[in-house]
This record gives sequence, structure tokens and C-alpha cells, in this order.
Amino acid sequence: MSGDRVGIIGIGQSNFRSRRDDASYPDLVREAVVPAMLDAKLDFDAIDAVVYSLSPDAMVGIGNAERLGVDAVGGRNKRFLRINTGGATGISSVTAAYYHIASGVCDVVLTAGADKVGECGDSQTVLNKIWDPTYERALPLGTINMLAMSAVRYMQRYGMTEEDMAYVTVKNRRQAALNPRAHLRKVVTIDEVMESRVISWPIKLMDCCPQSSGGAAMVLASEQFIRDNKLDAVWITGVACRAETYWMGDRMGNNPTAEHADAYALGRSFEQSYRMAGITDPAKQVHVAELYAPFSNTEYHAIDAARLVGKFGESVKRVRDGEFELGGVLPVNPSGGTLCTNAIAVTAMARVAETALQVWGRAGAHQVDGARVGIASGNGGDHQIFGTMVLEA
Amino acid sequence: MTYRVRPAVVGCAIRPAITGRDRSLEEIIYDISQAALADAGLTIEDIDGIVVGCNDQFDGRAISVMMASGPTGGVDRDIMSTPSSSEHAFILGALRVASGQFRTQLVVSWSPTEVSSMAEAQRLGADPYFHRALPLDELSSHALQASALNHVWPNAWVFAETVAVKNRRHAAVAWPVPPARPRAGPARWPLTERLTTEPVTGAVAMVLAGEAFVTERGFRTPAWLRGMGWATEAAFLGDRDLTCAPALVEAARQAYAEAGVTDPTTAFDVVEITDATPYSELIAYDALGLASRAEIAARMADGWFARGGRSPVNLSGGVITFNPVFCTGLIRIAEIANQVRGCAGPHQVAGARMGLAQAGSGFAMQYQSAIVLGAAKGDAAKGDAG
Repeated sequence: MSGDRVGIIGIGQSNFRSRRDDASYPDLVREAVVPAMLDAKLDFDAIDAVVYSLSPDAMVGIGNAERLGVDAVGGRNKRFLRINTGGATGISSVTAAYYHIASGVCDVVLTAGADKVGECGDSQTVLNKIWDPTYERALPLGTINMLAMSAVRYMQRYGMTEEDMAYVTVKNRRQAALNPRAHLRKVVTIDEVMESRVISWPIKLMDCCPQSSGGAAMVLASEQFIRDNKLDAVWITGVACRAETYWMGDRMGNNPTAEHADAYALGRSFEQSYRMAGITDPAKQVHVAELYAPFSNTEYHAIDAARLVGKFGESVKRVRDGEFELGGVLPVNPSGGTLCTNAIAVTAMARVAETALQVWGRAGAHQVDGARVGIASGNGGDHQIFGTMVLEA
Repeated sequence: MTYRVRPAVVGCAIRPAITGRDRSLEEIIYDISQAALADAGLTIEDIDGIVVGCNDQFDGRAISVMMASGPTGGVDRDIMSTPSSSEHAFILGALRVASGQFRTQLVVSWSPTEVSSMAEAQRLGADPYFHRALPLDELSSHALQASALNHVWPNAWVFAETVAVKNRRHAAVAWPVPPARPRAGPARWPLTERLTTEPVTGAVAMVLAGEAFVTERGFRTPAWLRGMGWATEAAFLGDRDLTCAPALVEAARQAYAEAGVTDPTTAFDVVEITDATPYSELIAYDALGLASRAEIAARMADGWFARGGRSPVNLSGGVITFNPVFCTGLIRIAEIANQVRGCAGPHQVAGARMGLAQAGSGFAMQYQSAIVLGAAKGDAAKGDAG
């Protein structure tokens, strides 16, 4: 690689929980920023710009709530802007920070945010408002029944069963138990998942992510700055974003961009980030994956779209075979993933952060041995806006 | 700092006042995106990425960018959004082109007025414990700023009236047939109705391209990005000195350093300032280094900032003419791009080669940006050339 790379030099994350009555919203941001800055071994004078990561304002009950986070990120009189691509916001924010540096304008950029999903009252009521007020909002759509439709289509197309979905939950809970930052860390069995109450068939309670509160922050820097200051880093070698159609009703056709079972735009985003990173055979070249999957069924089409399997639908058998578990061929979501922690504004940033920790060899008890190349993804909107990254040691 | 690839503006569409109710928001966004592409002589196939600046509260949606992916052409494309402000969409689009990883960007912003109460929508942006109960909306915050300025500068109100008259005169030239009749907004002491304008629906789109694309497609009059700065102030008004704009001082410092501007008083052929109120324009004169408070009286007396003056400000008529609240910042940038491209319309400054756009947004202009655009990629700043 040339000397123009962008590196990650600092990471901070909360220990995510259902509620954080002890911390205000800016407190949670600060809670992640402080360890990220300590990890980067920099003080705030070194930060050229801040990219603020915040998805729907309504989730924290404050319009343009990023304004209230300015002091928490040390942003006063600095370059500052906010990103929102829904659930993909966290990875989009890292991506925006990346372009601040890749453009040549900045050397060191902080990206940070937090969410209090667990304290918003009811996230599904908020998320219903992402749909068109005239047509689809009234169904009423939420992100759970939206992805239940996707699950039904995936079942029909690729033969996934409810038990297959439970396998993902069992795998990710077992991995989250090793991650002190994860929200849901209780190990569960297939039977417990199958017996949990139906939320929107075929999605059951234990197929769902929790509503989490917490923050995340990352410090990115130019390769020149990293070398000049003799800092430790891992590198962003591939980055991309792609969007799908907004309308649920447009995903029922035979056009590849309109198939609710497949994550077409996620696949396109991965294609581009692999091309940039020079990855031609991800199943062989990638060592670890943190894929945004808030419901158990969605991990399957994320694995498919990332081309970690030969063809769509093959992920089902290979999860059952344990290939994507810690200790398996290519661990997916060793942190427990979004299924075990979902503070929406920073969930996709946590995917990047966890992947970075893996290729850095600093993931702790859920470290994938020998991981040098990792991928991360984020899904936003109604499974519509996707961000992907390749990180390397 | 230098850009890896210098971005240029190659297409703009500005609709600062959309009247009638025959177009949905999606159709307005489609229309403005297509108009900017047509202005650039491009199609959506030429666009590598999109950045939109949109506000969930004004749009009545959560994650407003979702709805925009279709009408902007974002399906199967890279689309991002900066809900912090419309001008931040330009900044991110420019950074993406400057990275060399995108040939082009489409930057789009809009501001509808269908919300039942814009003041209530804005009030949600105040912190829930201290400011929200005041109650605080953006106009109230501008009024507090005006009051603070009047307190430390007793003649400020006189100059504010002069600025308002100047901008309305400019509007008469810029809009011989105005798309809407600008109506006075509500008063908030010390802002009289003469100093405010009722919000109106508006939209703006810009096409940005890198050097290689500009050469390949033979754009004859691109507006090159010469310098770009942006910064924020603290959220709590009590933490700020509302009589000045330190974030704008910092944004201007960044932009001028990139552009090589050492004397902003003479560097620009044309300037656009986000005059949310005339007091905002007065504060910006000082922060941008266009005129200190001590100099403003003389500058106004000799018409320095008026049409035909040395450094005319807000020839478009400014925000006091049309106030599409959320996208006023990006409109200022597009206006300067069109001036530098020589296609601003009736208010074109003949031979404009260097322009400055200031964009401000949020309560009492919390977010501040300064964008310098030039007709030549490597033009020496005029002030520097002497």
C-alpha cells in the first residue's frame, strides 16, 4: 500500500445496558470519547475535526441532538458535522471521518456518538416514522415486521427454518458472553429461543436485538501522522456504501434490486470495498466479520451478501456446521454482534470498532486467533442503506 | 492542507421559493436534482455519490434520507446525509471528491413548510431541561443575538436596518419576477417584522466534480473550490458570547489559509452571507474580516457591500428575501458558485472570479462555514495580488 492510508488509532465503547439512568445523553458520548482519546494517546488539540454519529433524533427526544454533544466530543470551534443513515450511521460516520483524512484536509479525526434506545419509550413507534406517511406507515410497519417479511421470503427461497434462525441467536449469545461490553450476555439454547414468544412470525423474542444505551468513539489518522508520531494503528483498506429502494412494495418483484430476501445493495457495497482492498476471494482472505444483523435471520443474508459462502442460502447449512462460530473457519460477530447489543446511533460503529480490535489482536476473550483481515457492515433505514469496510492489521 | 483532487462545482439549481402545492416533497427533490444535473449537462449515470442535507423534524419523518434515495437517484448508489446542516452536505461532498475516490457528487438539500408549526419543530432542538421551556425557536435565538449585539454596540440596530434595505434592493434586481412575494415573518424583539421573513419551501442541488472529470468533459466555467472551513460553537446559549462568532472566525481562518487569502476585504468579487436576520450579516462581516465594527459605518456609507460596490454582499437578496430555513446555507454556496461560473442571472457580477459564501445554521448560528470558490483553479487571491 502507498503512504496515503487512513488508520484507526483509538477506540472507546461503553458497556452497553438497557438503561443508563446514571448518565445523560452527552455523558454517554463522553464515556466513549475519553477511552478513545486515551487509546490514541492524544489530547483534544490534536483533533482536526469531529464527525458526530446520530441516527433518528426522535430516539433521544431532541431535534438535532448532535448540537448538545458538541462539548462531549471537544468540538467547540472545531470542524464538526453529523451523519445519519439510520442503523448504518455508525459506519457511515467512520466513512465520513475517513474522507476527511483521505481528502488531504485533516490529519486526525474523531468520530463519536451515543444512543439511549432503551430509554426512548418504544423504538418501534419511532421507527414506524421512517416510512412514507401516506402509504406504508399506516400498515403499520416497524423494523421487526419488515424483517419478518424478509425472513419469510428467505425461508421460501432458501429453505431457512425457524430453528435455523435460533442457531444464529445461540451462536451470538455464546460469543457475547465473552464480551464484557455486550448487552445480552446470557447463553441460551435452541429450545429457549424456539419457546420464546412470537413478536412477528417467524421472529421471536430471542431472535431480536435488545434496545441498548451506550456510546462509541473512534480516532482516525493519516498514515503520515501515524508514522510521524510512531503510533500503533490498523488500516481501513476498503470502504463503500450502497442504497436500496425505499419502498417495501418495490421489493416484491423479480428485479435483483427488488428482492426482499437478498441484500442486493449490501452485496454491491461489499463488492466495491473488496475491490478497493484487493480482496478477490473473501471466503479465503477474510479472517473475521462483524456483520450488522439485528435479527437472527438477517445474519444469513449478510453472510451471503459478503460472499463468505459460495452462493446465496448456503450460509444456513454452514452456520449449523459451526463454520462461523468462534473457533470456526471464519467467525461472524464474535462480539455477539447487533443481535446482542443495539444502541442504534453507534451500532454500526461498534461493528467497525470490534473488527478493528480483532485485526489489532486486542479483542480480549472473543479474539479470533490470527485475525489480520476483517470486514464490517452496517444496515440503515428499512434495510436500505448499507455501509461496508475492510480493515487490515 | 491541500486536496488530493481539487473539487469544482459544475452544476447548480436553486429554487429558494417553491409555491403551489402540486408537487410532493419527493417530486420537489427529483425536480431539483434533475435541474442541477441538466445545468451540468450530465445524467445520473455520471454521478458516483450523493450527499443530502435534510432535517427529520421539518420533513416529518425519521431518517429523512431514506425517502430521498429514490428522487435523488440514490438507489444502487452511495448516498449519505448530514442532518446537522445543508452546508455540511456540500462539505462532505467536496471531501469525497477531494479524496480522489469519487469523480462526482450530487449534493441536495430542501426545506419544506408543511409542518404545522415550524417554531415547535425547532423547539424540539432545544435541550429538554433548560432551554425548551423558554420556549426557544431559531428566530428567538436570533433575537437574543440581536439584543446582545445592540447591548454592546448601540448603533447596531441602525446598521441592521440598512442591511435589510440593501438586501431587499438586491432582491428587486435578482428577482424581477419573484417566484413568491416575500412576506414578513413574526417579530421577536428587537427584530421587527421588517427584519424577518416568513419561512418558505425551497430546494437546492449542486453537482461537484474532480479535476480529471472537469477536463474530460470539458467544463468551460467550473467554480473551483479554493478554500473551505467549518466549525461549531457550543449548544448552550449561556456558554456563548452571542455578540460575536468565534466558530466563523475559525471557519474563515481555515478557508482563507487554503485559498491563500490574506486580505478578505478586497479578495472577493461577490459574497453571500446567511442573513437569517440582518444582525447575522453584521456579525459575519466582522468574523469574516470583511469589516470590523469600527469600519462598518464607513463601508456602508460608500456602498462597499451594495450592488456596484467593492465587495457586494447578498446580491441574491439573501435570506431576508426568501427563507427556506434548512437549505439557506447551501443556497448561499450555490449562489456564489453561479456567480463564479458567470450564470447567476440578473444579479450576476460581471467578471466575478473569486467569491465567498458564509453559511450559518442552528440556534444563533451555532454552525458556521466559509467556502471560497474561484473561476481559476490556481488563481492568486485578488487581495494578495494587490
